[in-house]
Amino acid sequence: MSSITLAVPSKGRLEEVTRETFARAGLTITRPGGARSYLGALEGVDGVTVRFYPAGEIARELIRGAIDIGVTGIDLIHETAEHGPESVVIAKPLGFGNADVVVAVPDPWIDVTQMHDLSDVASDFRARHGRWLRIATKYVNVTRRHFAAHGIAEYRIVESLGATEAAPAAGVADIIVDITSSGSTLAANQLRILEDGVILKSEAALIVSKTADWDAQRLALVGQVLTRLGAEGALAQI
Amino acid sequence: MTTSSERLAALAALVEGEGVTRVTPPLLLPAGPYFDLAGEEFGRRLLLTTGGDGTEFCLRPDFTLPIVTDYLKSEAAGKPAAFGYLGPIFRQRRTGVIEFDQAGLELLAQPDADVALDRVFGFARQTLEIFNVRHAVVRLGGVGLFEALLAGLDMPDVWRPRIRNRFGHAEALERLLTRLATQANGKAETPDRATLIEQVTEQMLAAGLSLTEGRGPEEIADRYLEQQALDAALVPGATLELLRSYLAITGEAEEALAAIEALAEHAGIDLSARLGTLRRHLNAFGPAAPVTFDAAFSPRLDYYTGVVFEMTGQGGHVLASGGQYDRLLERLGATSRIAASGCAVWVDRLEREALA
Repeated sequence: MSSITLAVPSKGRLEEVTRETFARAGLTITRPGGARSYLGALEGVDGVTVRFYPAGEIARELIRGAIDIGVTGIDLIHETAEHGPESVVIAKPLGFGNADVVVAVPDPWIDVTQMHDLSDVASDFRARHGRWLRIATKYVNVTRRHFAAHGIAEYRIVESLGATEAAPAAGVADIIVDITSSGSTLAANQLRILEDGVILKSEAALIVSKTADWDAQRLALVGQVLTRLGAEGALAQI
Repeated sequence: MTTSSERLAALAALVEGEGVTRVTPPLLLPAGPYFDLAGEEFGRRLLLTTGGDGTEFCLRPDFTLPIVTDYLKSEAAGKPAAFGYLGPIFRQRRTGVIEFDQAGLELLAQPDADVALDRVFGFARQTLEIFNVRHAVVRLGGVGLFEALLAGLDMPDVWRPRIRNRFGHAEALERLLTRLATQANGKAETPDRATLIEQVTEQMLAAGLSLTEGRGPEEIADRYLEQQALDAALVPGATLELLRSYLAITGEAEEALAAIEALAEHAGIDLSARLGTLRRHLNAFGPAAPVTFDAAFSPRLDYYTGVVFEMTGQGGHVLASGGQYDRLLERLGATSRIAASGCAVWVDRLEREALA
């Protein structure tokens, strides 16, 4: 008998939100082995295996097609692979974890308010300072794509895995690309989002893999789950 | 009909032909110079690996950079040289293989740039012949031509480098031209420079930013004032229209160049030297070759200078590309300008054309 794999974030508030979303549709996610178990089940639809993974791994495996359907952040889909967005279907935004990935510059840079200002600054940065403009971010792929779209090539990325907003004051980078929900952390660090600096709007979402090995039976199964969740519209895009 | 190994042998003979030194840079190269030269956009194509001490290396993604770097370090630096190469390169692709064979020619410090470029075209054509590619479309672009046009156009000087910087990136350039077309005459009150510097200094100190490492208060204040001046420095509508017409010119090369000539004449800009050079190269191709000239075509690398080209096969893939890049050697540390031209050919795609 065919089955599909549903990946659920393995911990934190995101796991709870996922359970709540499914529960509202009359579907109960069980985790028989408790918090240490990585295997669960979905009561209400037969043939669905539930696996618990960290959100980053869910994004990667959805893009590769090793997981059929799962809950993770839209930002992670964009960051994990260049072809991430076209490898999946966003079936149902969960209205949780809403945040923007943004380009922010030091507030004292009064001459830089838009991406085209940054383009100017980047183009002669090396001539003025003997090094490239440095951007601190954990969103390496997202940043590269966004800057390429704006025709900006003259910069270097400094990978930052935490406290990115502190990078300019620490002298590690000149500007940052980071995720923010209210902008208050940025403001507290005297950073300002460019007027056209929102790269993408992210939130947690139920996402279906397009690259998984779909056949009619498995499509019917995922269709059942999506229908229960009121997201049957996604089925046509898989 | 030749066999695959015969074709490869012929290509190998070509890259070590008369007056050409075949070189084989290491497969593992420091990644830093590639990021320095071509930025993050090329950087994302690299296959990276890290040494025990944290040094980043990449699998050879191209031949030009290590060849030119070695040349600059050698005794022969500044003297005429010709290098050929053939071997695997590695680049991240969205799908499929990441290892490709590439061959090519680098001509450095040649006394006559035109002769050198013709030699490069000859190399590309010979390669295509080896692989029986008969109907390749040649696409020419003029980086030098565009720079000459830009220098002659009626506009405030501040805009020239900003437009040049976006040449070759159609969307970014279009956005800038649209912005210029809708530009309003800004007449906001601006504080004087000293006051601005003081304000920015205070803000930077409050934000914990270094005043000396990176952008300082003077640079920010000056650019701010320059922005205000820019908003007031309108680019004439006729200039924008001319730029747009120029960038839209593409098609059969003779006709395209004639259209550019007419455009330049109308604007009172003398492009005859550049156009003459392009026509001489066209003649070298012969009347039968399908050559197109695309005024907006340029690689997104600022070290290209004169003529650039691409040759595309039936499959729509670029088989050979190259041109003149006189600014490359300076970017890599040469103390004076050294002429450079060359091209690279994609062996795997050529082989597919040969089999098709």
